[in-house]
Order: sequence, then C-alpha cells, then structure tokens
Amino acid sequence: MSTRSTVYKGKTGQWAFVLHRISGFLILMFILLHIIDISTINFPSVYASIHRLYGNVLMRTFEVGLLFGLTYHALNGLRVIMIDFFPGVIKNEKRLFVAMLSLSLLLTVVGGVIILKPFFTGKV
Amino acid sequence: MALRERSFTSQRRNSTTMKRSKANFETWSWFFMRISGLILFFLALIHFSITHIFNDVTTTTVAFVAKRWANPLWRVFDWLLLALGLLHGSNGLRFIMDDYIRTPRRRAFAKALMYSLATVLFVVGTITIVTYKGTL
Ligand code: HEM
Repeated sequence: MSTRSTVYKGKTGQWAFVLHRISGFLILMFILLHIIDISTINFPSVYASIHRLYGNVLMRTFEVGLLFGLTYHALNGLRVIMIDFFPGVIKNEKRLFVAMLSLSLLLTVVGGVIILKPFFTGKV
Repeated sequence: MALRERSFTSQRRNSTTMKRSKANFETWSWFFMRISGLILFFLALIHFSITHIFNDVTTTTVAFVAKRWANPLWRVFDWLLLALGLLHGSNGLRFIMDDYIRTPRRRAFAKALMYSLATVLFVVGTITIVTYKGTL
C-alpha cells in the first residue's frame, strides 16, 4: 500500500463495527416507532388498524430484517464484551466474528421461515 | 472520536504500568453499555421470540396484550426493556453523533433533540405500561 494512501481499509473488525453501528441505529428507530404503536392500546380500534399492517408481507419482510439486526447486534455485542473483559479472547476475535455472524444468519433464516410462512401458505 | 476515547479508557483500566485514571462519565457510560447489553440480550431476544416466533404477529391483538399485562411481572419485563432499550440506544446514538457531527452547535442541537424525543417516548411508554386497564 502506498504511503500516500489515506483511506483506511479495515479488516473484519471494521466490518463488525460498521454492522454493529448500523444495526444498533436501526433497532433504536424501530423501538421509537414501536413505543408509539403500542401506546394506542387504549384506543383499541386504532391499535387494531395499525396492527393489521404488521401482518402484510412487506412488514413481515421488515420483521425478518429486524431479526437479523437484533441477533447480529446482540451476538456481536457479546463478542465485544468478551474481548473487553477477557484479554485472551482478542486472539480469536476474527473467528468469533465469523461464528457470531453465521449464528445470527442461521437464526434469521430459521426465524424468517416461521415469520414468512403464513404468507406462503396463503393465510395472510 | 468518542470510540477512540473509550478504548483508551479501557486500556488504561487494565494497564499496570500507567497510573489508573480517575473514572469519569465516559468510563461509566462504557460500563453501562456492557451491563445493559448483557441484560438486553435476554430481554430483547425473549420479547422478539414471544411476539414474532412463538406467536404469529397477526395474533398479538389488544386481547393478547391485555392477557399478558394481566400479570404484573410482564409489565415489569416490558418496562425494563423500554427503559434499558431507550437508555442503551440513545447513549449509542450519542456516540454516533460525537463521531459524525463535527460542529459544536449542530452537535448540541442534535443531542438536545434526541434527548427530548427519548424522554417523551419514555414517558409515553411508561404511562402506557403502568396505566393500562384492559379487560380480558
Ligand atoms: C440485545 C442485546 C444487546 C447487546 C448485547 C448490545 C451490546 C452493545 C455494546 C457492547 C455496545 C458498545 C459497543 C462499543 O462500545 O464499541 C453497543 C452499542 C450500541 N447499541 Fe447495543 N446491544 C444490545 C441491544 C441494543 C438495542 C436493543 C439497541 C437499540 C435500542 C441498541 C443500540 C445500540 C447503539 C445505537 C449502539 C452504538 C453503536 C456504536 O457506537 O457504533 N443495542 N451495544
């Protein structure tokens, strides 16, 4: 790499961080929305009409995305915590990243099938 | 450069050669993200499993919520998720703002807006959970 290069080309740790940041931000945005939709519980007809939207296929796909964001952020968060508190873990941080990413993808696929199934079987 | 400062703090905490620095707000913030993260790991994943995996989203109706909230322990669970999620999330957003919003005025403005929004939503969420009197 040329010494004049100023663009940081990070390795796995940087991607782990970028994904962690984006997923954390998106989960927060969803939580803000979710507090508002649940607050309509005292107006049952409003709650019902908002809630009906969550059943359509677009929102179901969005829920699968939320599941990936949440499982990735949660598992990578554990990885960050382990690296911080157990000095030996840093040697395996790369393999740990691959493991956490794979596990969150696996959970997303399994959960995604369950979430989207009612659409494919024509129930919604 | 909030992140760099935080990793510095953690390095200094473990360093024996350097004098241990006095714990400041950022040290507590660093610690809080890890503790709340550990608790949220269980709260958030259990919550998602109940409302999206073990029950289809179409069945989480008013009656579903009324039935769950008939048990005060679920209200406590949901309130903890609300409080920790908002604190952890808005503190995380504070790091992000420190990293990308470079002028002090804009940064102060963005943070003020965020803290206000988080406070309002915390109040709205708390009122919803505490005062709900659903009939089964
Ligand atoms: C499910 C369990 C969770 C775990 C284990 C976890 C763990 C963590 C940890 C350890 C950090 C600090 C990273 C660092 O200092 O470099 C962090 C940052 C963050 N978290 Fe979480 N978290 C969880 C849930 C959530 C939730 C529910 C939200 C949204 C409300 C959220 C939003 C954020 C944000 C926005 C950041 C800042 C990201 C950054 O600085 O790049 N997290 N999380």
